[in-house]
Amino acid sequence: MSQGPGGEAGFPAMTATAAAGSAMIRRRRRPVAERAFHVLSPYLLLAPAALVIVAVLGYPLYLLTRLSFEQFGLASLITKKGTWIGLDNYSRIFQDRQFWTVLLRTFVFTAVNVGLTMVLGTLIALLLARLGRFMRLLLTTGLVLVWATPVIVAVNIFRWMVDYEFGVLNWTLTKLHVGDFLNKDWFADPTTGFAVITAIVVWGAIPFVAITLYAGLSQVPAELVEAAEIDGARRWQVFKDITFPLLLPIFVILTSLSIIWDFQVFNQIWLARGSEPEEEYWLMSVYSFVEAFKLGEYGFGAAIAVVMVGAMFLATFVYLRQMIRMGETR
Amino acid sequence: MKRRSIGALALAAALLVSAVAASAGSSKPNRQQATKIVIWLQNDAESGWKEMVTSTNDAFKAKHSGVDVDVQYQGWGDHLTKFDAALAGGTAPDVIEFGNSETSRYMAAKLLQDLTAQAKSFPNSKTWLKALKDSCTYNGKLYCVPYYAGARAVIYRKDQYKAVGVKSTPKSLDQFAAAGKKLMKKYGKQRNYSALYFPGQYVWAGLSFVYDYGGKVAVSKNGKWQGTLNSPQAIKGLSRLKAIVKGLSRANKTTDEANPQQSLVFSKGRVGAFIGNGWEWPYALDEKLGNPSLKNKIGAYPMPSHIAGKFMPTFLGGSDVAVPVTSKNKALAYDWIRIFTSNSSMRKLATIGKQIPNTTSLASINAKNPQLAPFATAAKSSWFVPTAPNWVKVENARVLKTMFQAIITGRKSVAKAAKDASAQITKILNAPTT
Repeated sequence: MSQGPGGEAGFPAMTATAAAGSAMIRRRRRPVAERAFHVLSPYLLLAPAALVIVAVLGYPLYLLTRLSFEQFGLASLITKKGTWIGLDNYSRIFQDRQFWTVLLRTFVFTAVNVGLTMVLGTLIALLLARLGRFMRLLLTTGLVLVWATPVIVAVNIFRWMVDYEFGVLNWTLTKLHVGDFLNKDWFADPTTGFAVITAIVVWGAIPFVAITLYAGLSQVPAELVEAAEIDGARRWQVFKDITFPLLLPIFVILTSLSIIWDFQVFNQIWLARGSEPEEEYWLMSVYSFVEAFKLGEYGFGAAIAVVMVGAMFLATFVYLRQMIRMGETR
Repeated sequence: MKRRSIGALALAAALLVSAVAASAGSSKPNRQQATKIVIWLQNDAESGWKEMVTSTNDAFKAKHSGVDVDVQYQGWGDHLTKFDAALAGGTAPDVIEFGNSETSRYMAAKLLQDLTAQAKSFPNSKTWLKALKDSCTYNGKLYCVPYYAGARAVIYRKDQYKAVGVKSTPKSLDQFAAAGKKLMKKYGKQRNYSALYFPGQYVWAGLSFVYDYGGKVAVSKNGKWQGTLNSPQAIKGLSRLKAIVKGLSRANKTTDEANPQQSLVFSKGRVGAFIGNGWEWPYALDEKLGNPSLKNKIGAYPMPSHIAGKFMPTFLGGSDVAVPVTSKNKALAYDWIRIFTSNSSMRKLATIGKQIPNTTSLASINAKNPQLAPFATAAKSSWFVPTAPNWVKVENARVLKTMFQAIITGRKSVAKAAKDASAQITKILNAPTT
């Protein structure tokens, strides 16, 4: 800011002798170079990372998009050449009834999973804030262990728990006289099957939400809560009118991330259904994978992936806009 | 100052990485010399007749000193997906085993080496089983070498059958069902006991019911394919299957015969019978995984037809071995196949693996062995999948597994499930080959 007036002051001096002028310019050069460095240095520092991102993310994304405009089958694997067919893959997707079913299923699945993750995660975070030191340590350790469990291990543990013959969950439910769950096949009906898969996904996602929110909760000024309580606010009101608005940015970020994760759930379904999910279990990611890699329609599969990325952006965008508006009205 | 030095550090690191990458790239051509061939076999060989593979490798190494053989066992569920990825990545094996219903698409796409010129150099090429040779032939050219054939029969507990008073093996489907009913009456109180263990996605045994009642999966008319699982005959077969499974089986309805391995479930004692391949009999007696004490309690008989005195047609499964066009060691690959399909190897396959060898000249081995005869008899009346280039896509899209699961869990009526599957099969088989 101090550079501005200095520069203006220097302008009339240009009419002085040439020697003085050149001295002027030489004198001014250093600030310009310095300024340029100041402006450019963030970009320079970002450049290596940006370069890596372009190389490992941008280029594959470009290849994927190009592939989505091509007919690329089994024989193309060796020739490495597809046939350009324009928008054919895309028009085929939108005419495919299965696509609309899968898309709807993916949206519902995402909504349910994100909703459950956020609600349960928030409840656990609130619990953490009220626990004593020892119990808090115990619960945090538990959460970190869940977070650290690899998906493959987690899915297999859940599969054993609901195993058709030896599942401990089936055994427990029967012993508790909830009903006859011996030889209950949870995956025979997609509703109960998705219940198991949702349990796996939500179980795995809660730790991140709970720990992050707990960190946020510790920043809520105690005086504010105290003041509200003195004014006669109930717990729910305290949460709704004080805690939640203060933590809104964290909620927005966590929900956006959860949407992005749950929209592309693949591993849990793939592993829970023994690498061969029934059509009733297909989400967008599975649908794209099956078309591309099981049926060898690589171009068509790529087009589904592109549409999936688009749909996800749209969902996140709509959500973010809604949240920002909510913030503005407050 | 600090910022600048970090930037410089990052730059230096980036340069270092690219330098390392460049030097790695330039050193590659030095390692071109082939000292190893890679073989992909299905894991049936690993659990059923590993001795045949070991002896082949020993003989091969003795002949080609300095060449190493790397056998990698694959599972049926994803071996083609892996193979496709390996083709694209340039890491495809030198020899690969295909199920005989999987070959057409790869032959049509010209991804397998044309072996027509060398055909005679492979052992027994004149007496190869016709069904297997057909699965290796496309437009009159040979693209793979027959490996073995397999037929399914009923593998059962002789002691349990005897205990419920079934003295001779069932000669008709009605007798089979009646024997099962007796077993369920006596042993059914045991949790999870099945008189016939039949998982809900057991396509290959399930389709035999369709063929037994005169149905077919698909037919070709004037160059167009038509799915026919919704024909009256097919629906009769499927309905009969549903009734039998409902009464006799408590197997999981949403898994297939390999997950868990049905012969191992059988070996645990709570199964009266299952429909299995020849190699699954010895596998049930495996010392580590199975139960050797059942040795004298197991028998086998061909699955009876609904027409008394006849046998139900069995799926003539089997495998072929091929050389992908991308192989850089084709001559070595051919030689490995020659040893692998030689007479001495085929004898091991028959005696240890209980499979049907690839040549009619060795058929007599099966006839003499009481453990093999039921399977050889069953193979005499058999059926095979439609020979359309796109057939493997029907398997990969798991159309048939979906149908059987829907029927056996009761999520769809037989008619609806069969109609849906037929429509899908028609669509897939007539789609352009890619």
